[in-house]
Amino acid sequence: MAKLTVEIVTPEKRILSVQADEAIVPGGRGLFGVRPGHTPFLSLMEPGALTLIEGGRRESYFVAGGFVEVGNDKVLVLADAAEPVTGIDVEGARRRMAEAQERMKGLSAEDARFELEQATVRREAARIGAASTARA
Amino acid sequence: MASLRDIRKRIRSVKNTRQITKAMKMVSAAKLRKAQDGILAARPYATMLDQIIADLSARAGADSLSHPLLAARPVKRVELVLLTSDRGLAGGFNSNVIRRANRFLYENTHLESIRLSTVGRKGNDFFRNRGQQIRKDFGGLYQRLNYRAAADVAEELVASYLNGEVDAVHVVYNEFVSAISQTVKVAQLLPLQTLGSADQAPSEGSTTLVDFKYEPDRQAVLDRLVPQAVNIKLYRALLESVASEHGARMSAMENATSNATDMIGSLTLTYNRTRQAVITKELMEIVSGAEALK
Repeated sequence: MAKLTVEIVTPEKRILSVQADEAIVPGGRGLFGVRPGHTPFLSLMEPGALTLIEGGRRESYFVAGGFVEVGNDKVLVLADAAEPVTGIDVEGARRRMAEAQERMKGLSAEDARFELEQATVRREAARIGAASTARA
Repeated sequence: MASLRDIRKRIRSVKNTRQITKAMKMVSAAKLRKAQDGILAARPYATMLDQIIADLSARAGADSLSHPLLAARPVKRVELVLLTSDRGLAGGFNSNVIRRANRFLYENTHLESIRLSTVGRKGNDFFRNRGQQIRKDFGGLYQRLNYRAAADVAEELVASYLNGEVDAVHVVYNEFVSAISQTVKVAQLLPLQTLGSADQAPSEGSTTLVDFKYEPDRQAVLDRLVPQAVNIKLYRALLESVASEHGARMSAMENATSNATDMIGSLTLTYNRTRQAVITKELMEIVSGAEALK
């Protein structure tokens, strides 16, 4: 059976390049699954857990937003940041989220920084969520 | 003629200098390796981003790619960003960038205005000392050079492009060719030119391609893709510049070390010659003294 080639890259590093049967990606409109033969597809990616299934084995990565291109049985994941869910520093993520929430209190909703902090909160919340899938 | 003691002193001081240049060379070599790794690590992402953009224009048609950052408008005000280093002693690294920037200013006097901003202390010092207005110095970028920091700078430049303060942004920097060779380059950062260019073929031949399915829609994807391409371009220029800096310093220090070695050689020769002459002179004095007593 055909396999997917999955590559995850960030601006600073290539995270991985593997074969898989299926990929589940946090897309711009919710999770979507990709199997070989998928139609050409270009999507935004939201912060969340990206899961690869290979021979019944699941492996998850946290991705912090970016793009996904699907075409020709290749899945190119361009993430702003990515890490295996098993390596997530949950304490650090909690702290960053709390700090961003603290900073948000002093800002009005129109402030450009407000949006930035909100993105941080969303990202760290997604990171914590992704970490919990590692234990499940 | 210099006395023996003077020459000895000179030799010692040149040896000290050589020790320093040698150490600096070694440090630069280590930093260069790290910087090169950085360039290599950034490459896959940049290649794939180009690939996606090429695929996008192949599938959706180049005309459908419309984005404010791609739209060129009549150029009246330009911003020039200089990438120099914080430290000197790197051969022509900084002066080449500064010279190129000066040429750019000189060649483009027909423009309404050219604003300067700098990354790195050396370029900033040069133009400030000459009374040139510097809009912004992105200082301290090298202490924490990562993608996020580069993107912050790029986003600020994008903002001033979008609100019409400037009509184009150029970057002057050293492009890394090899450890001993760097070339100065002026690259246009905004409006972005590389999109849909032919230098990257789409990933699947030239068969008739069906358009992508997009999520949420094509414009939304494009709105994220284009700024990302700008960020990456600046990030890569910074990485190139850092690698070039260490390469330039490494070869400058290599030269300094070998010059010092040559100098020590010729000083040692003079020292030995002088020492011989002194001994001969003393012997002659003793012999002729003894002759006189006979």
